[in-house]
Amino acid sequence: MKALTANRLIDGEVVFWRNGQWVEQFGDAQLFNDDDPAGEAAEAHGKNQPTVVVEPYLIDLTQSQGLWAPVSYRERIRALGPTNLNHGKQADGGAAIEALQHAHGAARSTGRVDLIKRK
Amino acid sequence: MPTFIRLQAGAPALAEDPFTAVGDDQTIPPGDVIISLSRFQTEGEGLLSEGRQVGVRLESHEDVEALAYDLPRIAVVALAFPKFGDGRAYTSARLLRERFHFKGEVRAVGDVLREQAGYMVRCGFDAFEPADGSTAQAWERATHRFRHVYQRASDGRPVAFEGRGG
Amino acid sequence: MYRYDQIDKDILADRSAEFRGQVARRLAGELSEDQFKPLRLRNGLYLQLHAYMLRVAIPYGSLNPTQLRKLAWIGRTYDKGYGHFTTRTNLQFHWIKLADAPEILDALASVDMHAIQTSGNCIRNVTADPYAGATAEEIDDPRVWAEAIRQWSTIHPEFNWLPRKFKIAVSAAAKDRTAAKTHDIGLNLKRARDGVLGFEVMVGGGLGRLPHIAPTVRPFLPAQRLFSYLEAILRVYNRHGRRDNIHKARIKILVAALGAEEFARQVEAEWEKIGTSADLPDTELARIRGAFAPTAFETLPAVSEAFEAAKARSPAFARFARNNLKPHKVAGYAIVEISLKAIGQTPGDATAEQMEVVADLAERFGQDDIRVTHEQNLVLPHVKLDDAPAVWAALAEAGLATANMNLVSDIIACPGLDYCALANARSISVAQNIAAKFADAERAERVGELKIKISGCINACGHHHVGHIGILGVDKKGEEFYQLTLGGSAAEDAGVGQALGPALPYERVAEAVDTLVDVYLRERQGAERFLDTFRRTGVAPFKEAVYADVH
Repeated sequence: MKALTANRLIDGEVVFWRNGQWVEQFGDAQLFNDDDPAGEAAEAHGKNQPTVVVEPYLIDLTQSQGLWAPVSYRERIRALGPTNLNHGKQADGGAAIEALQHAHGAARSTGRVDLIKRK
Repeated sequence: MPTFIRLQAGAPALAEDPFTAVGDDQTIPPGDVIISLSRFQTEGEGLLSEGRQVGVRLESHEDVEALAYDLPRIAVVALAFPKFGDGRAYTSARLLRERFHFKGEVRAVGDVLREQAGYMVRCGFDAFEPADGSTAQAWERATHRFRHVYQRASDGRPVAFEGRGG
Repeated sequence: MYRYDQIDKDILADRSAEFRGQVARRLAGELSEDQFKPLRLRNGLYLQLHAYMLRVAIPYGSLNPTQLRKLAWIGRTYDKGYGHFTTRTNLQFHWIKLADAPEILDALASVDMHAIQTSGNCIRNVTADPYAGATAEEIDDPRVWAEAIRQWSTIHPEFNWLPRKFKIAVSAAAKDRTAAKTHDIGLNLKRARDGVLGFEVMVGGGLGRLPHIAPTVRPFLPAQRLFSYLEAILRVYNRHGRRDNIHKARIKILVAALGAEEFARQVEAEWEKIGTSADLPDTELARIRGAFAPTAFETLPAVSEAFEAAKARSPAFARFARNNLKPHKVAGYAIVEISLKAIGQTPGDATAEQMEVVADLAERFGQDDIRVTHEQNLVLPHVKLDDAPAVWAALAEAGLATANMNLVSDIIACPGLDYCALANARSISVAQNIAAKFADAERAERVGELKIKISGCINACGHHHVGHIGILGVDKKGEEFYQLTLGGSAAEDAGVGQALGPALPYERVAEAVDTLVDVYLRERQGAERFLDTFRRTGVAPFKEAVYADVH
């Protein structure tokens, strides 16, 4: 499975794609099958919104205890917030957040292109 | 035709560009032309003898020193910005003005945005081909964005420490 | 302290207005993200994992109470009540909205602060010895030179679009508290035999992917020729530094490729052509120097009865005095180090309330002077020994009296994967896990000076290459691993650490550090620090102990 994510231009908030809208919680994100062209279509759509989001990209998901979670640790931190202080999305709580917090399993990199350019 | 802005009595103004920029693979049209350094080195002599004005385009990796002896005969040095973050041309412009005392036109070409206008004018550029659709007014505003400067440069603007009376 | 005059203030106002326009153009779609990014970076604004991060410049790490209170206010108003002090003596806010950034820059400008050139390929915030004006060791006040460099480098017409970022440090004493040799230019104040003031000029240091310790390019540069020489160095770099590969674009690569001697020859040739026209007039230097005129110190006895009595009464205060108070040039005064490394806290973080406490203390007891160190701590440079117990008590109440300066829990750590878009792995929680192992203050003191530095990626903001123990986070298939290096130093005995062995998983790092410390305690001779022991024994005993159970 995949999901589409980006940072919102005006405030930098991590957002996820859901049926043509950008939503703030990973738990609300639209999931795409790996071979579903709708994922790439959504990404193309996102890239055409340069005044709404910055650099949308697809992330790989993995199943953990029946729920989907980003594969990479980096994307889990984006979906949850920093681990040193509850200043991020984790502060909202809820089942989807809890599931993410307990997600484990073989994380692996994805979509990590030339990071130095991403700052 | 790209927009062409020139400093006239220190103020940016929209201008007619009398020069044609000619690529290395193009035949040279009549009139005043801007050509590459390598083309200038082979064909410059002939063009100048025809009585026309010749400008030379320097890529950002090309040293202004290569033109040192020809500068009195050159009307324009066009300094290229392949990307607007490539800052070599600022040094080239200062050397042209301050070290070689070049009195002709120093033109900014390539990825030229109004964000660079102030820096360019300070370093001695006096002609610009903005790639961002800047009007002369926008260029003027950007040029005078800062009321004071901390460094001596080619524009001879008074430096902060001079105003402080020391 | 230097006070901004109308010219300095106008420049901040103009810069802020410029950025406001750029943000508006970006939001309106007139600037693309690719065009906007270098502009926002030059105003300290990054897009990180969760939000924008604003990096506020603290030139040469010097703050007054009004400024620190404003930072606290910004933290409370626009962030989540925190600020993070960095290894460049800057302050970062991690939860900033792009739309708020122009307002924040205006708020900063209202107290003579800014975020100009805290990022981007330009000359960055200049750093200097945090004990400036307070230590008897200094040759001259480095702030005079650092402030002059701040002005010279601000919106420099020629050097704002360099191949890569450019960092300058001014060290003022034989003991280097600025990590000068890891800078693009390290300036070490010196006095010639005839009394003339000058600098040893070191060029081409840097950490990152390829760490370099800066070689000396000129052993002695007369101080009044500083700016023409800087111009020559920057010009050679601007012209010849690599622009084809971002990883090879720092000046350290140019210096290494040419060799220090040839690089110096090119700089000297350019310097000769520049002549003295680029030097700062003596009148301007005198004006700046006047702003740093020594404060009026009282004549006090060298021994303070109140201070001695407090030490005798309170072992906790005695420990604080032992570790966090440093000798002042004036009898009866001390330099007070404030640790931002409380056990379990985020290294370098301060809450808005903590900033306000420090601002109050500086006002009541510290001549309105606050410093930030590159080791992510704060300093009150001028505190009467008589007042030290009261300062300590107030710090303790705010959770700021951790007595661990230069000890194993005084760890440098970048924000890492918890915040940073570049990071591969977390730094903060690794620091927290290590500090927890050394929560016993007595044990930490027995271990003595030990500098642990942690970076979450190869960009090395956490200075891992020059840690006595360096820790580098790497990504192995999406999981966090850490490479340990030993024997580095950022001080006058600078050196790049040596790899210990294969990277360790997150869970094993703190325990490995514990093991390294045990080996040191076993092997050390006399008064050796960890670094000394390592440099004597080499890596073998340490490696053997950490990887013993792997085999």
